Amino acid sequence: MATAGETAGNSTPRGDADEVRIGGAGSGGSRRAFLGGGIGAGLLGVAAGGYAIGDARHQGHADPVPAVVTDAVTGRLPAVPFHGKYQAGILPGSSPATAVVSFDVTAGNRDELAGLLRTITERARFLTTGGVPEPVGIGAPPSDSGVLGPTVVPDGLMVTLGVGSSLFDDRFGLASRRPAKLAKMQPFPDDGLDPAQCDGDLSLQLSAGHSDAVLHGLRDIARHTRGGMQPRWRIDGFVSPPRPARTTPRNLLGFMDGIANPSTTSKEVLNQLIWVRSGGGEPAWTANGSYLVIRLIRMLVEFWDRVSVQEQENMIGRRRDTGFPLDANSEFAHPDYALDPTGATIPLTAHIRLANPRTPQTVSSRILRRGYNYDRGIDEVGDLDMGLVFTCYQQDIKRQFEAVQTRLIGEPLVDYISPFGGGYFFAVPGVVDGSDYFGRALLT
Amino acid sequence: MSSVPSAQVLSRAVAALAAVATLAGCSAATTPASRRAGAGGATTAISFNAAQCGGHWRARPGAHTFLIKNDAGAAAEVNLINPADNAIYGLLEAIGPETTGTMAVDLGSGRYAFQCVIDDIDPFTGPTVQIPGHAKGTPGIVPVTDNDLLQPEKEYHAYVTIGLNQLTAQTKTLAADIKAGKLTAARAAWLTAHLSYERLGAAYGTFGDFDGEIDGRADGLPDGVRDPGFTGFYRVEYGLWHGQSARELTNPVDQLAGYVQSLRNAFPDMEIDLLDIGLRTHEILENAVQFQLSGNDDYGSGTTLATTAANIIGTRELLTILRPLLVTRYGGLPGVYVWLNRLTALLNAQHHPGGGWTPVTKLSTTAREQIDAAAGQALTELAPIAAITEPRRI
Repeated sequence: MATAGETAGNSTPRGDADEVRIGGAGSGGSRRAFLGGGIGAGLLGVAAGGYAIGDARHQGHADPVPAVVTDAVTGRLPAVPFHGKYQAGILPGSSPATAVVSFDVTAGNRDELAGLLRTITERARFLTTGGVPEPVGIGAPPSDSGVLGPTVVPDGLMVTLGVGSSLFDDRFGLASRRPAKLAKMQPFPDDGLDPAQCDGDLSLQLSAGHSDAVLHGLRDIARHTRGGMQPRWRIDGFVSPPRPARTTPRNLLGFMDGIANPSTTSKEVLNQLIWVRSGGGEPAWTANGSYLVIRLIRMLVEFWDRVSVQEQENMIGRRRDTGFPLDANSEFAHPDYALDPTGATIPLTAHIRLANPRTPQTVSSRILRRGYNYDRGIDEVGDLDMGLVFTCYQQDIKRQFEAVQTRLIGEPLVDYISPFGGGYFFAVPGVVDGSDYFGRALLT
Repeated sequence: MSSVPSAQVLSRAVAALAAVATLAGCSAATTPASRRAGAGGATTAISFNAAQCGGHWRARPGAHTFLIKNDAGAAAEVNLINPADNAIYGLLEAIGPETTGTMAVDLGSGRYAFQCVIDDIDPFTGPTVQIPGHAKGTPGIVPVTDNDLLQPEKEYHAYVTIGLNQLTAQTKTLAADIKAGKLTAARAAWLTAHLSYERLGAAYGTFGDFDGEIDGRADGLPDGVRDPGFTGFYRVEYGLWHGQSARELTNPVDQLAGYVQSLRNAFPDMEIDLLDIGLRTHEILENAVQFQLSGNDDYGSGTTLATTAANIIGTRELLTILRPLLVTRYGGLPGVYVWLNRLTALLNAQHHPGGGWTPVTKLSTTAREQIDAAAGQALTELAPIAAITEPRRI
């Protein structure tokens, strides 16, 4: 599985890497160039970048903190424009807080399904924009939970909707519109999948600057969709601050995670790896969507903590303290596997080497990874239940995620991790304007 | 170059962010939500005392916040009303002397006036203000008074009285079956009697201590199901479905029958709080979700879906009783019935020809999701009724 390693990067120029750093865990400011300017594109950069800038650059500095950064830290990240050709939550780097929820649709027919998707859209539009909740007078309980105060602040909230293969069964007459590469997630040999924590008709991810904004949004959407869908499984995640400052955030194995990713600023790369285009067997409505793989991966941290750091580093292929590849002296250096054909420096079974062998043949299997740490209590033997909410976007699950995952079968790391849930989804095209809604092209 | 972004790059980035944020403010104003947000900034400060209520004010249609200062020297309540029919658009309760409260209203086109309800003074109304145009705002609701609820209270009392008579007889049958050692018959009689109780719509202490004695759960008792304080239907259920003998069950069922008889005797003199009638329209089902659909209150019979169905019947009775007050005040009433009907059908699908019910733990994922979704939506539709039928002082 693709945890700490890299499934990307061999065509990414160094300049991109620097810009990624500005954006914190993700793809930061230069996305603007790709999205072709305009207010919408710019704000993506604000949301993705503001928090990380504040964190990485200004702690301990005597300089006055710019207002934008202050806002980021205090929970007032600007709104991420909701409308666009693509869903706004796909390209930005991982937000500090997220909730990933799978729902089963309980709507009784296609009209009700359309109503459900309209409602999700309307709520997402309001929540990501912010504003004063509707006053209700004496005729109803308050229209908003009040969790974010009297005025709903967007706090960089992004709401990303996906559809699972089960939505295309016989309930809604959508069988002929199934995205060509959308199937039910099948277990890999090292998985221990719990069906109750797998799959679902819809995936909904809410990401924001803080947990309260995420939970407020989830509660609002759930409140407005009680009859139309029921949560099937849910997991919350967070991104750790970079430690030390100006490095890539770490996962709960203690290793930096997400160092290399495809460029999110190159239109060419995005069109080759991320965005689905109609044609080639894909129904027309899928254009500008992207396939989403979610994998819930328990990390057996007690076991891991009883392993020497040398063994840990050989399993990952990077230094734990610096994030450097074992054959290099900087975090973003490209490992040179050609110079090390026997694995004398980076073992042939190291996670980063299997995940991304950096050969011409594996360029097209790169994925856009967005990882989050999770922590949810203890298990039945008193061990801590924590790990990784692995998500990735791609054009073709088989060609990309499954190819990467197949290379990772049997890697030494599998003894220390246990994938237990998740699913395959298709993140639908963006909502282009105020009259559009999630999945309109699918349903009409 | 190092991988650390230069200060120059950073400051450029921050400047760009700031510029974009400013632009966003403009563009966002074109969306309805933000228009509301912007207008939410429109604030009017008013005050009142024994001689005047709100004074003269002006406003445009849209979201508006009133800061209302109490200069009356006594506790008070202020309503924003339509002077033509006394419909209430906004309400601010319990404003202490010398304090200021906030009332948010979406003002539609029409006529508005503040009404001041000051302790020890007859309520009076301030000047009428006309909001121009053809805008829609927060709907006004004609307040429900104590007087309006007297007839519903009477009807609910009568409904419970009939139910208690049935329940008393059914509990006696249950006791007789147990004492005769006919435990199979007793299990059927238990369900019949328990559902009669659950149809009464008891929730959150409608029957005072009787509810805990007749239908109390073992949660919260130090020794749980073995606690001597565990009495009533669930105690008998636990025994009937956990192999207890007729002899072991004789005391518990006699206790149950005694409590039911006592409730029946006491009920004619029990008053139902008028506020509770509206509250119960969602609280009965709130309880059902928490304790029945969750399976928490299944002490062995696996009939919590039947209990939920009985709770719906109790809820429907309250809706029928309140209907004259609701038809003119609650446009969502048809939606309430759509979802109660859907939920009822989903529950009945788990009622098997032989009389048995599917325990919630045996529901398929799909069936369970459908039931939980319908219950959740029904509750969402029911929720406004408690607010609408809260008795108001006008």
